[in-house]
Amino acid sequence: MRELPAVHIPLLAEALTRFLAEELRASGLRRYVIGLSGGIDSAVATALAVRAVGPDQIEALALPGPTSSPESLAHARLIADGLGIRLEVLDLAEAGRVFASTLGIGEDRLRLGNLMARMRMTTLFDIARRDGALVLGTSNKSEILLGYSTLFGDAAASLQVLGDVWKSHIFELGRFLGTPEVVVAKPPTADLWPGQTDASELGFDYPTADPVLYWHHEGGLARDALVAAGFAERLVDGVLQAYRRNRFKWRPTVIARISSSCINVDRILPRNPR
Amino acid sequence: MAQPMADGAEIPIALAQIATCPGQLRHNLERHLVMLDLARKAGARLVVFPELSLSGYLLAHGVLELAMAADDPRLAPLYEASRELTILVGLPLREPGGGISNAALLLEGGELRGIHRKLYLPTYGMFDEGRYFVQGPGLQPLECSLGRFGVLICEDAWHLSSSVLLAQAGAEAFLVMAGGPTELDAGEEPAGGRRWHWLVGATAITAVRPVFFANRCGWEEGILFGGRSWAVDARGRALAETAPALEEALVTASYSRADAAFARTLLPIPFMERLDLWRTALERRHA
Repeated sequence: MRELPAVHIPLLAEALTRFLAEELRASGLRRYVIGLSGGIDSAVATALAVRAVGPDQIEALALPGPTSSPESLAHARLIADGLGIRLEVLDLAEAGRVFASTLGIGEDRLRLGNLMARMRMTTLFDIARRDGALVLGTSNKSEILLGYSTLFGDAAASLQVLGDVWKSHIFELGRFLGTPEVVVAKPPTADLWPGQTDASELGFDYPTADPVLYWHHEGGLARDALVAAGFAERLVDGVLQAYRRNRFKWRPTVIARISSSCINVDRILPRNPR
Repeated sequence: MAQPMADGAEIPIALAQIATCPGQLRHNLERHLVMLDLARKAGARLVVFPELSLSGYLLAHGVLELAMAADDPRLAPLYEASRELTILVGLPLREPGGGISNAALLLEGGELRGIHRKLYLPTYGMFDEGRYFVQGPGLQPLECSLGRFGVLICEDAWHLSSSVLLAQAGAEAFLVMAGGPTELDAGEEPAGGRRWHWLVGATAITAVRPVFFANRCGWEEGILFGGRSWAVDARGRALAETAPALEEALVTASYSRADAAFARTLLPIPFMERLDLWRTALERRHA
């Protein structure tokens, strides 16, 4: 069976820390704002940001919605305390209920989940405007490739420090950075409704999916070659289906080009010119 | 004014491993001036900067905004600094006849001593240089008071024929300016740093010339560069400690023209290159 290649975790942590320091310097802004969900991705991203720019430059927010688990907030507090940063709690439950009612969402939990993800995004970007900050994203490579995110919700950020890091490696990174074990060990969840887990929705967990994704996306093995390599057919088909179906999320906006100076096509320019 | 070196003298060469930012000329220029100050204090006679050191690497169409001619007034602080020590700097060079080159300027005594324009513009994978730059027309050593140097910009060095041709044209040593991106794997240093180490060593021992390798470090537009600037003599012996991967550093290496001359006299490997095989390959390609 082909495995996910290892990565040198201390070097990865050091490199990503420097990335965050440089991005803030290049932007000319002062701080990072981040939503602490109580899960491992935001815990790791925040830990890296604290190493990069110091605890005083981090604005961490817990943004519980109508269906959020109390455990998530408790874990967010645990993470913030461990990192020595202040956690601001903005309860979006009532606003979420009102907005959901206005939209007539009813019992559609997927719509409600997406709505809450986008309300959190709205909140984070508003705080970023207030504080002269960048919004630190928490998406990882596995969920981006699988499309397991809300477009313009949790997928929206100023930068994605973990966007090229496999989820399997984020568990290692979490332990290396001293993330509380209860956060590292719990099943990943978007916490969009009670009892939700990534694995129950996707049909596989990340340590199982990551080698398939790696050998397809980076290793160039097509479906039949993956099966021949020993991966279960059902797993391969499930992973590849998500990989293809949600690809539009990788490049969320397409501009209709009608000139010879189309932005990001004919004119790809540095993001932070001075 | 820089004075010519006697052949037996040791020439301290500084490799300025810096982290640049695309589109932030003032920031990048400041990094140059900081390194030049350190190099001066370290007694260096020549300072080598990485590829596109003034502009940053991932400019894409930003080259249109940042390209400059060799006499651009914004280069004045570097020309001025070159009165004290020789400087090899990288920038997008606006060509008088049109087009922009990925170029290196050799500055000495307040004047321009030579230009190398990158020959091999990678346009594959994450690279897109062929879209923004024009190819350099040829290879000639650049001459200054310190000797005759073959300048190679990043992918130029990945084609070993470059060093052979430069050696045959009289280059005594190579100055390699790189903007080498890297990925991370299980190794303790970035994968790109390992590859460059092999490549720099292979260039030195096959062309029998010392190699002084200045790579950039840091992040640009989400891309990590691998540092590990280094110098090696014609027989593969390290002339300096390898720079760290992730942070800025100034590496100083000692270059002996006499030792280099002795080694290339003893081992004329590049002069034994079978150019007739190249001709046959060319004829076959054009047949």
